[in-house]
Amino acid sequence: MAKRILITDDALFMRVTLKRILSDAGFEVVGEAANGVESVALYNDLKPDLVTMDITMPEMDGIEALKAIRAGDPNATVVMCSAMGQQNLMVEALQAGAKEFIVKPFQAEKVLEVINRHAA
Amino acid sequence: MKVEFVAPFAEATSAVAEMMMGAKPSRGQLSAKPELFTALPVNILCGVNGDLEGLVMYSMSKETALAIAGSMMGTPSRVFDQLVASAISELGNMITGNSSSIFSSQGVVCNITPPTLVRGNSIRISTFNTPTLVIPLIFEGIGQIEVNVSLRETKIALAAA
Repeated sequence: MAKRILITDDALFMRVTLKRILSDAGFEVVGEAANGVESVALYNDLKPDLVTMDITMPEMDGIEALKAIRAGDPNATVVMCSAMGQQNLMVEALQAGAKEFIVKPFQAEKVLEVINRHAA
Repeated sequence: MKVEFVAPFAEATSAVAEMMMGAKPSRGQLSAKPELFTALPVNILCGVNGDLEGLVMYSMSKETALAIAGSMMGTPSRVFDQLVASAISELGNMITGNSSSIFSSQGVVCNITPPTLVRGNSIRISTFNTPTLVIPLIFEGIGQIEVNVSLRETKIALAAA
């Protein structure tokens, strides 16, 4: 069965791009969230196999959303996907339980390599 | 406003554009703008705060914006719709984020705000006490992105370093 993915990004362009990359590779994109609040709500509704999480977003940022999701489900698989490639943010995200950090801009192969590694 | 602050943005713009659009730009001549100037028709504004604070603005013509968005999405765009707006805003966000990573590796820590898109003709921009340095990046067959950098240091120690 196709692995179910929840995409979180405030930019429409990024959601469209990620959805295309993942759908083309046979994943099922079950939800799209435009901020952290939506992501946490959709996670609880949909229970996806993996979440992609942007960091800089309105309402609730990706690190707060990651913590909220992991608080509700300690086994949640969240991969950060953000332009903010700073060391401190990466460390904070990984300490909060993120599986890996994809820095934008990314190439489709890199995204699939990371998602395949963690969606299994 | 130091000339050194411009280099990370030019470097990040080249790197991000190459990955997103498969096009490597050539750099034009660095110049300065007065505190009040007229912007190009399409502008992506990204705020910076932390050790550096101010504004970085990526400016271009509407035709260039459409060409860039089309190149990023893999399909040509003729109309400036929400997806085009999102694509070029995200380009600005990625460039500024990558620039902040370059600064971070040099010990200069700053955060960025989400991008704001400003469109229109004869838009007047005032940066008040911070002058703007501008570097044009020319993309063959696509057009030119002006990278406008208007930043100042917030730490006296950093200025002395």
